[in-house]
Amino acid sequence: MEEAIVAENLVKRYGNVEAVRGISFRVKRGEAYALLGPNGAGKTTTVRMLTTLTSITSGEAYVNGHNVKTERLAVRRSIGLVPDISNLYEELTVEENLRFMAKLYDAPRERIAELIKDFNLPAGMKFGKLSSGFKRRVTIAAALIHEPEVLFLDEPTTALDINSAKAVRGLIRLLNKRGMTVFLTTHNMLEAETIPQRIAIIRGGKIVAEGRRNELKKLVGRRILVRLSVEPITSSLLKKLEPYKPAFEEGGIVLEVDEPDEFLRFIFSLRSELGFRIDHICTELPSIEDVFVELTEGGCPCGGCPL
Amino acid sequence: MKILAMAEKELREYVLKPGSISWGIVFPLVFTLAFAIRFGDVDHLAPGLLSISVLFGTTSFVSSSVIFERRLRTFERLLVAPVGYFEIVLAKVLVGSLFGLFVGFTSLLFLRPFTVYGVWNPWLLLLFLTLSAMCFSGLGLYIALIVENPINAMTWLNLIRLPMMFTSGAIVSLLLFPHWFLAVGLATPMTYSVEGLRFSMLHYYDVVNPLYSLLVLLILTLLFLYLSTSRLENLY
Repeated sequence: MEEAIVAENLVKRYGNVEAVRGISFRVKRGEAYALLGPNGAGKTTTVRMLTTLTSITSGEAYVNGHNVKTERLAVRRSIGLVPDISNLYEELTVEENLRFMAKLYDAPRERIAELIKDFNLPAGMKFGKLSSGFKRRVTIAAALIHEPEVLFLDEPTTALDINSAKAVRGLIRLLNKRGMTVFLTTHNMLEAETIPQRIAIIRGGKIVAEGRRNELKKLVGRRILVRLSVEPITSSLLKKLEPYKPAFEEGGIVLEVDEPDEFLRFIFSLRSELGFRIDHICTELPSIEDVFVELTEGGCPCGGCPL
Repeated sequence: MKILAMAEKELREYVLKPGSISWGIVFPLVFTLAFAIRFGDVDHLAPGLLSISVLFGTTSFVSSSVIFERRLRTFERLLVAPVGYFEIVLAKVLVGSLFGLFVGFTSLLFLRPFTVYGVWNPWLLLLFLTLSAMCFSGLGLYIALIVENPINAMTWLNLIRLPMMFTSGAIVSLLLFPHWFLAVGLATPMTYSVEGLRFSMLHYYDVVNPLYSLLVLLILTLLFLYLSTSRLENLY
C-alpha cells in the first residue's frame, strides 16, 4: 500500500455535537502532512481517531494498511504519538520512562541508550523536574522507542519557548528526511510553512482546502505584494503606478501585482524615464497565514456553532 | 511481562500520592486504633476492622492512580500502546491488591496487641485477604472509570464505602440487626470479606458460610474486572 494513512468520510459525534464532519485525505509513505486549523476545528479529534484513542462514529480509516476500527493493536504497534501535552510519568526518571515504554512496545533495551544519546536527554532526572522543552523532547523520544512507521504529532510546539520550538521543528524535519511518515496538527504558521509537504486546512470539522503550500497560496484572492522605496516620489510617478493600487507605508510604497517580472521591467523603464532612485524593492508572496486567515475567517461554515 | 511492567510503574509512581497515604493508610490505621483503644479487646471486631482497612487501602490506591492518570492524560500512554484493555485493568488490580495486602498486614500488626486469640488459620486468612483486596481493587477501579469527572471519584467512593462499613457487619454483627436488614447485608460485597476473614481468624462466622464467601468474592472480582474492561473500551 502506497499510503500510510487513509481517512474516508471520518465522522466523530459527541452527543449532538459533530466534532469532525466527514473528512477524507490520504497521506503517502514518507510524507509530512499537516492538519492546520483554529482551536476547536477538529484536529485533535482526528488524531485521536486515527491513533485509536477515540472511537470513529462513521467512516473508515487505515493506518499502515490496518483498519483503525478493527485492528487496533496492529495500528498501535506501527505508530508513535506525541500528544498536545507532554504526558509521561512525573515521578519516574527519563530513563525509567523510556524503559517502561520499551517494555510496553517490546523494544530492545539498547534503543533506550540510543534515544538518550541522540536526543541528548538527562537520563537520571525525574520527568516532572524537566523544563517544557526537555519534556517535549522526552515525549518525542518515547514515541520513537519502537521505531514506528508513522509519527503523529498533535501541536508539538505548543507552550514551548522560541529556541525549544525551533529545536523540535528541526527534529521533526530530520525524522521525516529519514523516511518517517509524519502527521502533524498545528495552528502555528511557522510549523505549517516549514515542515509539511502537504497541508489540509480544517475548519468546523471539515477540510476546506488541501494541497502543497504553493497550491494553497494560489487560493488566496490577493495578488503578490511589491514593497518599493524610491526617491523622490513625484506626482507623475504615482500617476504611472495607479493601476497597481499604491498604498503608502513607513519607508515606501506597497503595490499589488500579478506578474512580478513584468512589473520589475516596468519600474526600471520608469526609472530611466523619470529619473528617480530605487533604494529598495522586494516581492512578497501570500503566506500560509494569509491562506489560513482567508479560509478560516468568518465563523464556522455550519452556521450553528460558535467556531 | 507487560502486566508486570505496568504494575511496577504503578508502584513507583503512585505509592506516595496524597490520596493513597491519607485514605489508604492513615485513615484505616487511625480507625483501627480508635476502636482498639476504646474497647481494649477487639477479637470479634478485628476481621471487620481488617476488611475496612483493605477496602479503603485498595480503593483509594487504585482510584488515585486512575484519577491522576486521567487528569494528566498519562492513561492515554497505556491506551495508545499495543496492550489489551484487560491487561491494563489486571495490572491496576494487581497493584491495588498488593497495596491492600500491605495495608492489611500493617493493620494486623497494629491489632495484635489488642486481641486475645491468635489467627486460627493463617493460610485461609491470606486467601481471604487476597480475594478481598482483589475484589475491592476492582470496585475502586470501576468507580474511578465510570465517573465523568475523575475528581469526583473519591466522593462517589465514600458514598459507597462508608455505608458498607455498617451494612457488612464489620462493626456491628448482622445478627443484631432486624431480620429484613440481612438482605441489605447480603447485597453488600464487603460482607463476604468480613465473614471470610472472621472465619479464618476466629473459626466462626455470623451469617455466611466461608465457602459461599469465597465463591462470592471470586465472582465479584471477576465481575469488576469484566465491568472495568468494558468501561475502558467504551470510555475512549
